[in-house]
Amino acid sequence: MSGRGMVLRASRYAVLIVMALATLFPLLWVTSIAFMRSPERFAGTPPLWPDHPTLVNMVNIVHQQRIGHYFLNSLIVAAATTPLSVLVAGLAGYALAQAKFRGHRLVSWVVMFAVLVPNQALVLPLFEMFSAVHLVNHYAALVLPAAANAVSIVLIQAYARAIPKDILDAARIDGASEWRTFFSVVVPLMAPMLAAVAVLTFVVSWNDFMWPMIAMQKVDMQTLPVALASIDREHYQNIGLMAAGATVAILPMMLVFLASQRYYLRAVSAGSVTD
Amino acid sequence: MARLELQRVTKSLANGQRVLRDIDCAVNDGELISMVGPSGCGKSTLLRCIAGLEAITSGEIRIGEQRVNDLPPRQRNVAMVFQNHALYPHMTVYQNLAFGLRVRHVARAAVDARVRRTAARLGLDALLGRYPRELSGGQRQRTALGRAMLREPGVFLLDEPLSSLDIPLRAEMRRELSALHQSLGTTMVYVTHDQSEALSLGQRVVVLADGAIEQIDTPDGIYQAPRNRFVAGFVGWPPMNFLSEDWLHDTGLDTQCIEYGIRPERLRLRPGARGDFSIIGKLERIESFGGEWQVEISRQGSRVIARVPPETKLQRGAELRLWFRREDLYAFDRATGSRMQAWR
Repeated sequence: MSGRGMVLRASRYAVLIVMALATLFPLLWVTSIAFMRSPERFAGTPPLWPDHPTLVNMVNIVHQQRIGHYFLNSLIVAAATTPLSVLVAGLAGYALAQAKFRGHRLVSWVVMFAVLVPNQALVLPLFEMFSAVHLVNHYAALVLPAAANAVSIVLIQAYARAIPKDILDAARIDGASEWRTFFSVVVPLMAPMLAAVAVLTFVVSWNDFMWPMIAMQKVDMQTLPVALASIDREHYQNIGLMAAGATVAILPMMLVFLASQRYYLRAVSAGSVTD
Repeated sequence: MARLELQRVTKSLANGQRVLRDIDCAVNDGELISMVGPSGCGKSTLLRCIAGLEAITSGEIRIGEQRVNDLPPRQRNVAMVFQNHALYPHMTVYQNLAFGLRVRHVARAAVDARVRRTAARLGLDALLGRYPRELSGGQRQRTALGRAMLREPGVFLLDEPLSSLDIPLRAEMRRELSALHQSLGTTMVYVTHDQSEALSLGQRVVVLADGAIEQIDTPDGIYQAPRNRFVAGFVGWPPMNFLSEDWLHDTGLDTQCIEYGIRPERLRLRPGARGDFSIIGKLERIESFGGEWQVEISRQGSRVIARVPPETKLQRGAELRLWFRREDLYAFDRATGSRMQAWR
């Protein structure tokens, strides 16, 4: 490699390292704070590193705050939302990309438009609807609205357009029904994008705050983000406890991302399907 | 095995454009018929209509004794080989071959036996575990053929299956395909834009233009007795020379109402019998194909190509006279384009 190439490469890595540190720093700091004994005594800014690492915050978050319970709530909601939402978005995105039907354009436009509607605008009508059918304080109140996600549909639609039509025709001639074609041929071909959408759905569901706060009014039904936020209110500001909660909350997302990283990166970087 | 019958098949698009017009054609049981025409003539659309991938507007399609107009592809007893093979990229060769049988709930052991038998027949046995991306063009082609064969269809539909292969492989696959047809004895419809492929493969040839059938005949029939100017000009390579008036005014032929054509191989460097006609022009180009030369002469901007034996004395830029027999001329009605039968 030439000297110039080396310099270029080195500076590229330098930029990447700085960006990675900037992204990681808050996460690492929060994790570090989670192991500090009463970090609030440091008048505002806790140090970067605990002088005497302790598990007391972790123990408290589990015992006093029943974090396991809220964790489980969040897990149930995210685990139910993710496959349902991927299935709905997969079917809808594929149909919009490949099927010919009356009103196809109109539906595409409606979905595109739905992407632009902020979630906050939906809170009131959603609450009315779920109250009317007595599903407030039910897991269904969090799962059902997330089952059809316009962003996921648009992502999958764009991806599914690249599936060669001949392959679908070949499946039809081979005797496959539309459902069989979808599950045996389309789903494997869209796997990278479906995985990416699954990760996104899981993360969004896991982090969602506003709607779960409103829809889950019973404390027992609260999800992790809502429960963590109430630590702040109930007690004096216990930064250590909040940091411990946040650290626990990050774990599942890291696991999900690590498990699906291969697919996820393929879908995000490639944008095309097969040969 | 089945007979395929198309009766007044018409397809119009939503904007009213007619892409297929009154297609009448019967393919006999076990026959290999090729359909040829310039791109956009509707040949692929016709094939897709037969397969059931597209609906026709009017007319009737019968496979065997059954009217299939309204049946979905899987109930039509057809198999199709696509131009780009359309193999399932996420399945191995074995899975690609087996898919159609699995879908039909054939027992696992029977699937296995049939897949292996077909694979052996096509020389794919060693490749069963490979993915399509790991195959050469010819191997992909064979896999696509195998997939179609395993369906044991009444009618085999092939949509330009060789056009994505390079030329030597194409000739080899063409021979294999022909042999395959002979051993399977299945009715086959072969669509191509390559007229030489159509002639060499088809027992009969359908020439299509602009959504309508121009002629159906044996390859020799199409070549020797084209029904009109379009077929005459489309079939044969290099194409038939159409002689403008400038070439013919010493011959005394009527060029007012009639247009004359002559095949390049019917032009000769030397006169034959008395009474032969000749044309004269400037020798523009000599192209050697080893055993044969193609020479091009021009006269007032109009060109004529002849296929002649190699002749070292020919000089580019010089005048060259080419001879032909009167009966080798084709005559076409200038108004309708149809060939005047009485001429030959």
